[in-house]
Amino acid sequence: MLYREAGDFKTTYRADEQTFPIRSERWLFWTVMVLAFAVVPFFINDYWNKAVLVPFLVWALAALGLNILTGYCGQVSLGTGGFMAVGAFACYKIMTAFPDLNMFIVVVLSGFVTAGVGILFGLPSLRIKGFYLAVATLAAQFFLIWVFNKFPWFYNYSASGQITAPERTILGIAVTGPNSLPWATYLFCLAIVFVFAWVARNLTRGRMGRSWMAIRDMDIAAEIIGVSPLRAKLSAFAVSSFYIGMAGALFFSVYLGAAEVTEAFGIDKSFLALFMVIIGGLGSILGSFLGAGFLVLLPVLFKNIMVNQFGWPTDVAAHLQIMLIGGLIIFFLIVEPHGLAQLWRLTKEKLRLWPFPY
Amino acid sequence: MNVHVHPTQEFRFMRPDDGIKQGDPLLVVDNISLSFGGVKAITDISFDILKGEIRAIIGPNGAGKTSMLNVINGFYHPQKGTITFRGQKRSRMRPHEAANHGIARTFQNIALFHGMSVLDNIMTGRITLMKRNMLWQALWRGPAETEEIENREIVERIIDFLEIEHIRKTPVGRLPYGLQKRVELGRALAAEPSLLLLDEPMAGMNLEEKEDMSRYILDVNQQFGTTIALIEHDMGVVMDLSDRVVVLDYGRKIGDGTPDEVRNHQDVIDAYLGVSHD
Amino acid sequence: MSTQFLNFIEIFINGLMAGIMYSLVALGFVLIFKASGIFNFAQGVMALFAALTLVGLQTGQVPFSHLINAIFGTDIHDWGPGLPTFLAILLTLVVMIALAWLLEKFVLNHLINQEPIILFMATIGLAYFLEGFGDLMWGSDVKTLDVGLPSGGSFWWEDVTRTWAPEDADYWGMYIDKLDISATIIAVILVTALSLFSQYTATGRALRAVADDHQAALSVGISLRKIWVIVWSIAGFVALVAGIMWGSKSGVQFSLSLIALKALPVLILGGFTSIPGAIVGGLIIGVGEKLAEAYIGPMVGGAIENWFAYVVALAFLLFRPQGLFGDRIIERI
Repeated sequence: MLYREAGDFKTTYRADEQTFPIRSERWLFWTVMVLAFAVVPFFINDYWNKAVLVPFLVWALAALGLNILTGYCGQVSLGTGGFMAVGAFACYKIMTAFPDLNMFIVVVLSGFVTAGVGILFGLPSLRIKGFYLAVATLAAQFFLIWVFNKFPWFYNYSASGQITAPERTILGIAVTGPNSLPWATYLFCLAIVFVFAWVARNLTRGRMGRSWMAIRDMDIAAEIIGVSPLRAKLSAFAVSSFYIGMAGALFFSVYLGAAEVTEAFGIDKSFLALFMVIIGGLGSILGSFLGAGFLVLLPVLFKNIMVNQFGWPTDVAAHLQIMLIGGLIIFFLIVEPHGLAQLWRLTKEKLRLWPFPY
Repeated sequence: MNVHVHPTQEFRFMRPDDGIKQGDPLLVVDNISLSFGGVKAITDISFDILKGEIRAIIGPNGAGKTSMLNVINGFYHPQKGTITFRGQKRSRMRPHEAANHGIARTFQNIALFHGMSVLDNIMTGRITLMKRNMLWQALWRGPAETEEIENREIVERIIDFLEIEHIRKTPVGRLPYGLQKRVELGRALAAEPSLLLLDEPMAGMNLEEKEDMSRYILDVNQQFGTTIALIEHDMGVVMDLSDRVVVLDYGRKIGDGTPDEVRNHQDVIDAYLGVSHD
Repeated sequence: MSTQFLNFIEIFINGLMAGIMYSLVALGFVLIFKASGIFNFAQGVMALFAALTLVGLQTGQVPFSHLINAIFGTDIHDWGPGLPTFLAILLTLVVMIALAWLLEKFVLNHLINQEPIILFMATIGLAYFLEGFGDLMWGSDVKTLDVGLPSGGSFWWEDVTRTWAPEDADYWGMYIDKLDISATIIAVILVTALSLFSQYTATGRALRAVADDHQAALSVGISLRKIWVIVWSIAGFVALVAGIMWGSKSGVQFSLSLIALKALPVLILGGFTSIPGAIVGGLIIGVGEKLAEAYIGPMVGGAIENWFAYVVALAFLLFRPQGLFGDRIIERI
């Protein structure tokens, strides 16, 4: 009875188009937000921060980006790792070139740089579709990694070829570097993710989102009713890369601290992001978060159970984990191609009618 | 005294002002030929569509009717011939540019966006009329939201007109065939077109649905003043609805005129009933 | 002939040989795509899995020994001296066929009528699953595979080519791996056998019918499920052959599954549905890659092999989206 629609009337189109049309849903959302912003920071410790919360937020941002491209615009990309690398290296170059620049601005700028690169690699999408495009984005993945490996300018000629994030502060509190505190890095990531999740929601609910979805659902018809494929596809590539670039910047500067490009941004990262989007739900903002949460928590859980509890060797646990993730992907595609987000929707529909079956 | 106001009166604003007087040619197709590799789909076809009329294009299967519509809205590019729309000779044009110039259409095999709701599908039809850039949309509050709501109001009137209020938030994939056809018409109308191309709007419908659809087409033509080009196989419908008919067969034009003229034209009768070769 | 030219020929021939290896993988993709419209991303992992199984059987490893040891605290590794190569290959083939059957039953059968891109993503899941499964079964250490194929440089060819160079030149002849020569011969036999099979047997005809039109094939009484099992079995067989060749060449290890990625540009070039396309595409990519590495590589710092093939394929795609042998695409609405 807590969750119901009856009596919740809308008298304006504006009220009808809000993100959470049902009152109890709005309550739930704001409760979670208050918890995340005002309660979690007081209880956070280093383990939770490093193992769960920060990777969750960073991957949610990356999944959000990929979801815009793949879930909303229907262009499958296997280049997420490469674009994250662009964001990371842009972040590193900007951080070292302008030491006084605010970290928020650095991250957003990294996003813009990646958006530019994304447009460039999105150009083939105007001619090719489907698998062919997926292969083209693989080209981006390999090419970008190669570039960051081959040209020492990108890693400031460091001997190891690694990039290391220097310490940067916001209001005197370190958010990157070895002295950063768990709650500070967590809030920094959370703020960025919160703002840009809201932006993603806005972009996908209006004209732009509809032009993406039109291209996804039936590109020829979309073009005939007036969607410019050039603008729709390239804007999707740009926005998607913007998000993935910011995720890459955070992944490097806040989460890893130091990164070697082949290891940190390899093709496995591209697949991981794709899996998050599939498991979470294609074409759903909430799904990006659910998928990221699921695939960030799963290995942590596995490690705790199999290695710490049962005392199995880590490689056996790792193999089992890969196998299970693969199996889960297939399972989800068979049982619920729209992912966890759809399960959530179905649950809500049932709740709305409860206690009646129909 | 009760004055009955037809709901479509609200659509006065939708009458597109394209600078063409009622009854003057809106679209002139001149000597169009189209082929794929060696296969000729259309050979030397010329006809015109006058502003405000309902123009039917008929012919047996494979006569080149759909190809003709594809040429008109820029999806196929003819090898030969010219198209003049609203007095302007048109060069090679992409389909979305044609849409921007005021040509909307529906499709033979329904081409709705299956992952979207009815409302979103029809809103997508207004894509050429919504102008706020990405930055405003990212912020939402303010101009983007205002624009969205203004357009929503217009779309809601179309939804009223087509009597599909009850399904506005339903994903189109769940709808029965007849309703999908209606939603598709709504999406085309949402663009406020000067020329509406309908590719077999009544294919696969039962009598009742056909009557409904005929009424919508007539209403659109009379209330909004939209010029309509229509492909249809049901001769009864064609004869009742259309002002003039062009008949195609094997990619050539074999007849052109009012329904009565065409009905009695010998070539047309031959094309439909076959000719005895004895 | 000048030394430079001889070097060029050597690179060219080695490129052709490498290309044959790519073609072997690409062939597996094409077979499955033609028959079921599925872009099987797991083809490379299937090759890895086949090679792992073969080595495991050959050396007499106990499957899942690591897992068993972890659970029961035992310490088992081998069950005996292993099987003779021939028997091991045969048994591996049986395993691959069983795999095809299981796949049809538990995966493909439930994904009928899904969009191609969903199926594609399912095969990525499959790739992960098989990779984890293979490692769990046989361990993830690098293994050497020896099925008795000759390997090492061909001295005969070295001697022959040395005489082509000018007397005074410092030239030692061309290096060609005997393994590559066997691979070429095997690939030729394989392709011939496959074409004969699809042209002259009833099953082959059914395969082609399904490739042409699923619905129509169903309506004349062809069992789609049976065909899929057959096709995936054949793809498993091709994967086994590719696994043997690649495994003998560079050891059986995880990176073997990445050769699948090398096959993708080949497919783009040759088209997803053309067997000759897979062969010619493979040769072009192989040669192009080796030439680029030798002549363009030094200019930009080397190691361009990883992405060069993709760029070639992409550039090609922009001008001819249907591939070398594909039909022209006419879009309809």
